Amino acid sequence: MIIKYYLVALFVLATGIVDAEASETDQPAIGIGGGGAGAANSVETDQPMFKFNGFGSLGVSHSSQSLGDYVLDRTVPKGAGRSNDWSASNDSRIAASLTANFTPKVSAILQVISDYQADGTYRPTIEWANVKYAFTPDAYIRVGRIVLPTFLDSNNRDVGYSYPWLHPPVDLYRQQSIFDSDGIDAMYRFEIGSAENSIKAIYGRDTLDFPTSVSTSKGLRGIFDTLEYGSATFHVGYQKRESSSLNLLTGVTGAWTQNTDLSVGASYDPGNWFAMSEWIQRRSTIKVDAMYFSAGYRVDKFTPYLTYSQDSPASFLPGSPAPTATAIQNAKKSQSTVSLGVRWDFMKNTDFKLQYDLVKLGDQSNGNLANVPAGVILYGTKFHVISAVVDFVF
Amino acid sequence: MKTQNISRNCWARLLFLAVAMVAASAYADVVVIVSAKSPITSLTAEQTAKIFLGKTDTFPHDGNALPIDQAEGSIIRDEFYSKVTNKNSAQIKAYWSKIIFTGDGQPPKLVEGDVAVRKAVANNPNSIGYIDKNNVNNSVRVILEP
Repeated sequence: MIIKYYLVALFVLATGIVDAEASETDQPAIGIGGGGAGAANSVETDQPMFKFNGFGSLGVSHSSQSLGDYVLDRTVPKGAGRSNDWSASNDSRIAASLTANFTPKVSAILQVISDYQADGTYRPTIEWANVKYAFTPDAYIRVGRIVLPTFLDSNNRDVGYSYPWLHPPVDLYRQQSIFDSDGIDAMYRFEIGSAENSIKAIYGRDTLDFPTSVSTSKGLRGIFDTLEYGSATFHVGYQKRESSSLNLLTGVTGAWTQNTDLSVGASYDPGNWFAMSEWIQRRSTIKVDAMYFSAGYRVDKFTPYLTYSQDSPASFLPGSPAPTATAIQNAKKSQSTVSLGVRWDFMKNTDFKLQYDLVKLGDQSNGNLANVPAGVILYGTKFHVISAVVDFVF
Repeated sequence: MKTQNISRNCWARLLFLAVAMVAASAYADVVVIVSAKSPITSLTAEQTAKIFLGKTDTFPHDGNALPIDQAEGSIIRDEFYSKVTNKNSAQIKAYWSKIIFTGDGQPPKLVEGDVAVRKAVANNPNSIGYIDKNNVNNSVRVILEP
């Protein structure tokens, strides 16, 4: 909570400082909406100092499995299936973003999002709040709250309009345990022949609230490299942190555990079609792999796509403490999904997406279904999910 | 019999002309321009794409590059992006959404209309824009006909 106020204060302070500077120029005070003026790389533009943008998604889903809830990840407490016939919890959110370009070198962003939280509310949270200093347009540092680029689309996973899918492939993206970092990051971009390479380093900490526990990460550091060559993009990311969970019911803080996330991805998008794949490995006391492959084809305003994703059962790493019965059962969780969907760009800045998922639960677990009553065994079964969403940006 | 053939041929030509006119009004003949004062004489489509997609801020042989975009939804803009980046307007918007909402940058400055773009480009040797070929005059230089 304190950190949130600190971030807002930082933003307001920075805004105040440069307001004074701005009054000497004849820049328009504020620009609203997409497509407005202002290039990041401008030298002498009359770009507005403040830019207000936003995005959102309104989505519903239905699952044929009524003995458990189909949820995207552990931060979504309930969804379609057992709790609701149709649910909006997985794919509905709205966010507002304010960017301030104080000088060509100094800028700041404040982005607030309202989506379904672990406590079952749509309580708004601060997603991005940082001040950026660009040494050149190809190198910057940022201080404040930064969304983690753990996997290829982690940075923009909430911005439905920015990708072809209804949501990023669930079996891989659910492996992301934390989402943002309060600290610092640095980016440097350079050319290698006719390829563009950007390398990013991050350092920070994070807390994530659940109804009965608080998960804290410290010593969070990562390095992420993206190489773009023509229509091809390659991405490698490695992230490390110490994490511990405080049980709010017992007041007991668990042991600090080292966690690593490795991600390797590639995509090819020449314009009329795309193909992409990603593989990740998450390690703590256990080791889990996940992957997906996805391809789509663009026909005028329609982009049909097909995705296969899966996560493996976890294996316990040598040297870790003897696992509890719950941990052993959790480690068996795995599932795979075949998704068939279409994105329809039916109007300006707005899309409609429809997706069908065939989910197969692992042979020794109820997969990632939430709220399955005790004693219900759905091992190895299949079920269907149908989802629809409208994404917009402004 | 012969007369019939001629009249059919005539109708075919008229139809072709009508189709050609509709096509011409729906597709602008876009060219990429810099100021006549700029030292740049030519760019490739790939180099132009990098500047307009914010992947570089300089011209290939140094010098700041300041791209000027046209209004969203305009025919000239759609024509420019489909020829130079092979992306439609929704793909370009999706591309910038990812950048804007991750704090990584902002799209190019927007100026509406060929005449205003030509004027803005003519006045700044660092600027680069795109307009219909018919609106080119000697204040600007065409560096790419994609």
